[in-house]
Amino acid sequence: MVDFFHAHQAQHYLVLAALLFALGAAGVVLRRNAIIVLMSIELMLNAVNLTFLAFARFPLVANSPMQGGFSQGHAAVFFVIATAAAEAAVGLAIIIAVFRSRTSVNVDEFDSLKL
Amino acid sequence: MNFNPGDLYGVLPALLLAAGALVLLTSEVFLRPVEPDRRYQAWVAAAFAFAGLWASLAQLGDPAQPLFAGAAVSDGFAHIVAAVVCAALFLSCIVAFSYLESLRATRGEFYALALFSASGMCLLAQATDLVVIFISLEVMSLAVYALCAYLRRGKRPAEAAFKYFILGSFASAIFLYGAAFAFGASGSTRLADLAATVRSGSATTLVYASAALLAAGFAFKVAAVPFHMWVPDVYDGAPAPVTGFMAAGVKAAAFATLVRILVSGYGEGGRWRGLIVALAYLTMLVGNLLAVPQRSVKRMLAYSSIAHAGYLLVAVAAMGTSAPRADAAGALLFYLASYGATVIGAFAVVAIIERKLALSGLGDDLSSWAGLSEKHPALAAAMSLFMISLAGVPPTAGFMAKLTVFRSAIEADLVPLAIFGVITSVAGLYYYLRVVVYVYMVPEAKADAVQGGRLLSAGLAIAGCALIVLWMGVLPGSFAALAQSGAAVFGR
Repeated sequence: MVDFFHAHQAQHYLVLAALLFALGAAGVVLRRNAIIVLMSIELMLNAVNLTFLAFARFPLVANSPMQGGFSQGHAAVFFVIATAAAEAAVGLAIIIAVFRSRTSVNVDEFDSLKL
Repeated sequence: MNFNPGDLYGVLPALLLAAGALVLLTSEVFLRPVEPDRRYQAWVAAAFAFAGLWASLAQLGDPAQPLFAGAAVSDGFAHIVAAVVCAALFLSCIVAFSYLESLRATRGEFYALALFSASGMCLLAQATDLVVIFISLEVMSLAVYALCAYLRRGKRPAEAAFKYFILGSFASAIFLYGAAFAFGASGSTRLADLAATVRSGSATTLVYASAALLAAGFAFKVAAVPFHMWVPDVYDGAPAPVTGFMAAGVKAAAFATLVRILVSGYGEGGRWRGLIVALAYLTMLVGNLLAVPQRSVKRMLAYSSIAHAGYLLVAVAAMGTSAPRADAAGALLFYLASYGATVIGAFAVVAIIERKLALSGLGDDLSSWAGLSEKHPALAAAMSLFMISLAGVPPTAGFMAKLTVFRSAIEADLVPLAIFGVITSVAGLYYYLRVVVYVYMVPEAKADAVQGGRLLSAGLAIAGCALIVLWMGVLPGSFAALAQSGAAVFGR
């Protein structure tokens, strides 16, 4: 138990990342405000970033077969951050388009496509 | 890391499409004061799509080689998928031209977005690195989200785009979490290194978790049950030409990547096969069952697209055994091409019917198809052809495609799955033929179902699709040979 909390190992970060990912997934499913749903997706992506970084800093395997080694995990995070920004831009634009047609961002009211 | 400029030739189709998108965006800036008429955009986009098609076909004979230090690959499988995507884009541009013109909705972004998404699809088929796959996936998806919301009339398009965006991003995040696990297990994001880890049998829990998460992420994209909830709403709410392009292009690219990840990354032992078989059973059953009560043709086609994802999953499952892997991959490519041609044609007819409804922001209903054969016999005949091709009745492309898929499943010892597929596709006849019944046998209720004018370019696209559907159905030899040559990379 002492070892779990004090040693510098991946599992602290992995557990934290898993919790954040689960919180984000729960937020997407449960929250009714479209903006908060968008934020929850960003939380999921950041949980993934934390996982990448944990595996890059505290590798589980002896050596990486890639050029650049485990720092490729850090590189992956930059790509994810950039993509998440583009995703947020498109997502907010879509939310604005929805808001203009019905002056609400409550997901429960998005029902014009039901049978 | 060494960068070899010669590798850029390997991604030529994607580069051409991206260049076309940039040309269209720039022309929008510079031509705006001079040229308020934006009809040239459709033809420029179609020209670039055709150039991409030509490039991917010209590269077909090239030997398979890794690009960018193994981050992507240039092989026959990727070239065939790129050709399907470019052909789908070409036909969709022609359909969209008459659709947007008749709605007076031609703005600068539409064709550029379509080209960007197609370039993402081409890259997706080539990517062999999980980060490259993610970025290509987002290039494709972000453009398609925006295309869904393109029509700013009524509540439906923006709402459809919102649903697609939320569930698509959710799926991307799940995929990415799987990629992070794969990186942890193998110390690399390359599929080849992942395969080496799987072979060595180390870090099994992480490997299984990553396989499950990656497969779940792509099950969303290919619309497999139980990840299909977004499909009917998105197909229904998006403009019909966009829906056709999505159904053909996104499906082709997503299935190509799913195969690439499962076979190149987790191929050894094929333990993922059970998962795909279960998904295929569920998807064929639920897709066909839920299509039956649909009154809206677009929603019916959406559920039919789920059912077709099930048949495609049969081909993916057949790749889980080592023996006939190339046959199954060829069947998959043939199916993707035939489904693409059929569904773009079907949605082009829907686009013509829908234009009036889209103006009022309402959904479509079977009743607006009644009596079509009297007013537009050619449209009626084309729609019937596409419907029987989707149902899998000879002499159409859909029949040959289903035949090759089920044959490859039987070769792979998946006989119950093949039998189940045949039974569900017979059940599918009911809802496809109902459209034909409305088109030919139900008398027209309202007098203003279809307006003429600007039908020419959409008519050309529909005729092209119908020609491909018949050609692939009657003389499938050359197409099947092409598909087999593309699938040869999996022949081990």
